[in-house]
Amino acid sequence: MTGFDARGTDATMTIPHSRRRSAAPRALLALLGSAALTSPVAAQPAATPAPVLESEEAFVHKLPAASPHWSYIRGGFDSGGTRIFNGDTGKMLGMINTSKWSDLGLDPTGKFHYVSETIWTKVLRGTRQDLVAVYDPVTLDLVAEIPMPGRLLIGSRINNFVISDDGKTGYIYNLSPASSVNVVDFAKRKFVQTVELPGCASLLPNPGVGFSALCGDGTLATVALSGKTPTVTHTAPFFSATNDPIFDNFAYNRGTSEATFVSYTGLIYQAKIAATPVVAAPWSIQAAAGLRVGETKPLDINWLPGGRQPMALHRATGRLYVLMHKGEYWSHKDPGTEIWVVDLAARKVVRRVPLKKPAENIEVTQDDKPLLFINGDEDATRVLDATSYEQKFDIEHAGGGLIAVAGAR
Amino acid sequence: MTGFDFDGFGEKLLRKFAGRTSRRSMLTRLGATIVAAPVFPLLPVSRANAAKPERSAEAKTGFARNAQTKDDTKCDYWRYCAIDGFLCSCCGGGVSSCPPGAEPSPVSWVGTCINPDDGKAYLMAYRDCCGKPSCGQCNCDNTDRETQLYVPQLNNDVIWCFGTKSMEYHCSTGVLVGKAQ
Repeated sequence: MTGFDARGTDATMTIPHSRRRSAAPRALLALLGSAALTSPVAAQPAATPAPVLESEEAFVHKLPAASPHWSYIRGGFDSGGTRIFNGDTGKMLGMINTSKWSDLGLDPTGKFHYVSETIWTKVLRGTRQDLVAVYDPVTLDLVAEIPMPGRLLIGSRINNFVISDDGKTGYIYNLSPASSVNVVDFAKRKFVQTVELPGCASLLPNPGVGFSALCGDGTLATVALSGKTPTVTHTAPFFSATNDPIFDNFAYNRGTSEATFVSYTGLIYQAKIAATPVVAAPWSIQAAAGLRVGETKPLDINWLPGGRQPMALHRATGRLYVLMHKGEYWSHKDPGTEIWVVDLAARKVVRRVPLKKPAENIEVTQDDKPLLFINGDEDATRVLDATSYEQKFDIEHAGGGLIAVAGAR
Repeated sequence: MTGFDFDGFGEKLLRKFAGRTSRRSMLTRLGATIVAAPVFPLLPVSRANAAKPERSAEAKTGFARNAQTKDDTKCDYWRYCAIDGFLCSCCGGGVSSCPPGAEPSPVSWVGTCINPDDGKAYLMAYRDCCGKPSCGQCNCDNTDRETQLYVPQLNNDVIWCFGTKSMEYHCSTGVLVGKAQ
């Protein structure tokens, strides 16, 4: 910084705007002048003098038009911030302000990004405030805050904050430790009501009805919101919440209103979500690969699903991508060493993709040239072609947390 | 695990909480949480007593077969069969006690672990210590009988800092509640 007059820059703070414009080039000239005195290159006769650099105005970027190949990647355990990456280039485009333990909701209509979060007046002390923050998806500016009664603090859950298909209603799970769901009107930006939902969590939008949720008694609960008071109905029990639980980070297809659940042993359940949901009989992912079915008994080593966000669904093709590892029952958080690609309609595993490094989270873009994003503890996110399974590149320091893409939930 | 049926107690428990608790008052809710706290980890005991789980080597989980009873600063210490987070015993606290200045949560998630020394199963209450940033030492994630959020008291991802002054998560302990059989 030799030759840079600090007093001169101070002066620019107070002089009128017109003078400030001329002050900056002067400071730059001073810089260039000092360089000319010391640089051997400058000692040679210059054919043409270097052009004087134009003064700049600082500004804030806006996001370009969204691409289906963008991914929204959360930092790892207890770290905030969701980075937006272009999956074609690996370039970071911006960050959504997802505070610690918050949940990101991407508006299905693309108009806003929502963050269901909890903050305190003195950082993590003082008065607790639970709210949904509304962000502009182009500027990423905060545009509104919608206060609500409470929400659960937990990491790595994609179904604790879900948005109705029309983008008008948000459903936020709360555990206090009684379990309930907050209904928020996004059109009016107003909290509407809390629905008590004992023993249930892990939400699904239920178009025209309200929402559904998985329950500890092995049923699927459906909450109808059309009447004066919410009504809760349950399916018959179809799974065991303690002997072969369903991963609560399941997949949901808005286009067909179908949910796909996977259990610890590898059973795949498909459910049509409606006023009265219908759950089809489960089938084994291992059997679909020509292997013996998963079991709960100890000492039985088999391929099992696992991780934190262990499956991703490509809606248009009905391809389910599941992170699988070899292990015993109760190894459900172990990272996947292979991706199993399941054709849901044919009930067949059509491809097993070995991974160079194990992965805990997986998501797939929803376009016709889909990309797979996978990550885990190591802080890098890997990008694969979801049809050729070619590993394209790693995005270093992308974050090791949940992965979201547009149109996936 | 095999023959060990937690089914239903979670929902019963939550229905009790929900029934007692007014949604309109945060104070009431917190009060109910705190009052109910001593009951919370005890409830599974009666259920566990009712069940007669098989404890043969073949019936043990991978964790139980490899667990040790000497070093409570290691993830394979027998009580930690369903713990997730930083061990308080590595953070200035102990296996069932919080580090200085941290506040124990009055509620917890629960687990059932087998003590390799006597072969018996014990009920564990995993209590988070709260009010400080993440300890960052001895990170473990054991998953015996750990289930999903719809059975929250058997889920170890929840920030179990309910009813504490601050909900900031610091570390986790394993408090022995009693014999399960």
